[in-house]
Amino acid sequence: MRPCGTFDERYSQDMAILRIKRHWGLLIGALILLYLFPLFGSYYFISLVNSLCIGIIIVLGLQIVSGYCGQISFGQAAFMAVGAYTSAILTGKVGLSFFLALPISGIVAGLIGLGGGAPSLRIKGFYLAMATIAIHFVVMWLIPHLDITGKTQGLHPPAPQIGSFTFDSDEKIYYIIVTVMLLMTYGARNMVRTRVGRAFVAIRDNDLAAEVMGIELYRYKLLAFFISCFYAGIAGSLWAHWIQVVHPEQFTLLHALNYIGMLIVGGGGSIPGVFFGVIFLRLLDEGVMFAAPLLASIFPWIGIHPAASMSVSVFGIVLIIFLIYEPRGLAHRWEIFKTSYRLYPFSH
Amino acid sequence: MRKILCGVLIFTFLFVTGVLQSNAQKEVTYLSLADYTAAIAGLNVPGDMGTEDYFKELNAKGGVDGVKVKFIGVDTRYDVARGVSAYKRYRAEPKLLVANAIGTPIGKAVGPLATKDKIVQLVPGDGEFQANLGRIFVWGPTYQDAFAATVDWLLADWKKKGKTGMPKLGFISWDSAYGKEPLRGGKEYAEKRGVTLAPPEFFPPGTMDHTVYLSRLAKAEVNYIFVGGVDPTPTNVIRDAHKLGLTKTIQFFCDYWGPTSLGVRLHPEALEGTVIVSYYLRGDDARKHPLSNLWVKYGHGKLEDMNEVYTIGMLWAMTFEAGLKIALKEVGYKKLDGEAMYQAYQKLTGLERAGLQGPCAYSPTSRRGSWEVRFYQVRAGKVTSISDWIKAPDAVSLHKF
Repeated sequence: MRPCGTFDERYSQDMAILRIKRHWGLLIGALILLYLFPLFGSYYFISLVNSLCIGIIIVLGLQIVSGYCGQISFGQAAFMAVGAYTSAILTGKVGLSFFLALPISGIVAGLIGLGGGAPSLRIKGFYLAMATIAIHFVVMWLIPHLDITGKTQGLHPPAPQIGSFTFDSDEKIYYIIVTVMLLMTYGARNMVRTRVGRAFVAIRDNDLAAEVMGIELYRYKLLAFFISCFYAGIAGSLWAHWIQVVHPEQFTLLHALNYIGMLIVGGGGSIPGVFFGVIFLRLLDEGVMFAAPLLASIFPWIGIHPAASMSVSVFGIVLIIFLIYEPRGLAHRWEIFKTSYRLYPFSH
Repeated sequence: MRKILCGVLIFTFLFVTGVLQSNAQKEVTYLSLADYTAAIAGLNVPGDMGTEDYFKELNAKGGVDGVKVKFIGVDTRYDVARGVSAYKRYRAEPKLLVANAIGTPIGKAVGPLATKDKIVQLVPGDGEFQANLGRIFVWGPTYQDAFAATVDWLLADWKKKGKTGMPKLGFISWDSAYGKEPLRGGKEYAEKRGVTLAPPEFFPPGTMDHTVYLSRLAKAEVNYIFVGGVDPTPTNVIRDAHKLGLTKTIQFFCDYWGPTSLGVRLHPEALEGTVIVSYYLRGDDARKHPLSNLWVKYGHGKLEDMNEVYTIGMLWAMTFEAGLKIALKEVGYKKLDGEAMYQAYQKLTGLERAGLQGPCAYSPTSRRGSWEVRFYQVRAGKVTSISDWIKAPDAVSLHKF
């Protein structure tokens, strides 16, 4: 729904993501705030934004393959690992610049991800989920058994560098992570509006009907997996150079489940939904981490560890609540809010 | 509605009182990055219960020279991202002196950050922190040292049984950095002592059935098998070995995270005869220790249900207390920081911790929490001591890290 009084007079207006001056104002304001944040934000919050941005990139990839194309994938953590290790090897062992290693990591993860997409023509739903779980285990078995990956000991990728300037702190690497996140979001937002994006949605809604309309199912499903894994690979590369330790135990199936949880809470088939899901669940997690010691100090009978281990139950409860009461996620709530705001004071 | 309002008011009052109280006193912080809900929760939960109770007891007695200890426990879920995030969240806590990173991957990820912040970090048993001296301290002897002590023990056992030739040793553990750590130096030590090591077997953490791996070891005709993994893993491995009939012909060993009395209670027949190498008291030795009464005092249930790992938690706290005492004496409360604590930890050489563990071995050249190990055996369903404290060999120096 357009903002009240906004009419499209040209094709470019019809295609615009930002339609009115207020949208542009809000975007520019948000970007300024985002880029100035390290100047006034605390170390912890900067680090939190870094982790949120990396999470957003991963879930954007998952949104494309699952939310838009309807292909369930549990392999996102493994493909993130592929990106992280590729980047660590290319920068640490080959001596390539991080800025070259970053896209290569995405491409390598994407190519390996085609393996995940390969069975998608013959199987779907639960069976495809099982196939992607299998890929997760194959990848995560290979990594600690190869010499090039440092086996179980992992690798220590260097901090990104431009000339003599090293991005060796949370504050410095923040600019790289945020910029990449914005570019990836822009890419995803535009892609879902293209012919490719519409083909994905058609496949998700009814693959037989899509095929009858002339959409090559196999090609588009593989493309969705490639893009999704490309995103995971980019996120993995950023993660590796941010944490500077890459270890096989960092990428577990539990992480993959967590990303799917973020998608459910945020809402499938929506780019803002990715932001909502990642931010909501990560902040919930951080909130529990923050509240647990306080709770334990105020109510000592609870004890430290029962209070601290609440986050798992909270995650589970939140997922159940969303699945029952708002299966379309926070993005749907946001749409309802926007509609009522635009119609105000009228009810419809 | 009125009830809800009253509840909110009471909660707010308690919250504000709690925050104000904690801000009013002289306090230092001890951070535990522990896994309370995932792969190594069996170790972390009782461990941190011990630390928390010991600090409660210490604070109730007035703290260390009037300085109270604030214990913060975070559930990392064995997740590196969460561990790192938690560290970053709490690194700015007032007077954060020690971060205990429980779990090998989290220890490795947090290590560089804690070092940068000049905070003392504790890790379970990885030898690389002894090989590369820094601010990271190991709780006890390293994994490889304990493994080497077991090699010595099995050689003596072999001789005692009047067998000729040299025994063959099998190794089975998690397919992870922790699982492979005992062999980084331990393998070299076994070779040095002439013990043949069969190709080691590694399985993913969480594996429920270990028969394939055990069958391969049996095929290799090993005489002894060393089982790694945090309980209940070792208990489950030996349960599977028992099913295969291997416990009749092969002597099983476990590292210091091996079966606790609670694990033994689950599978007493399977675990019968298993030897455990430990640097802390186990079984009745642990339960009879006067400090174990804190378990009952703080309402965790009957003493016979106490997990022995509870005492390790008290050991971390006791070591912290001793370090804090030295640091306070040297720099006073105002100047107290991670650097002062780091210097203090290096002066803890020879510290006695109520006999729960061997004397502390921390020094400018040592990051080992102690050298001594003790052997226990499961006999008639009980974890029974079969040796006195024995100094473990140095296996770390045999490996190139």
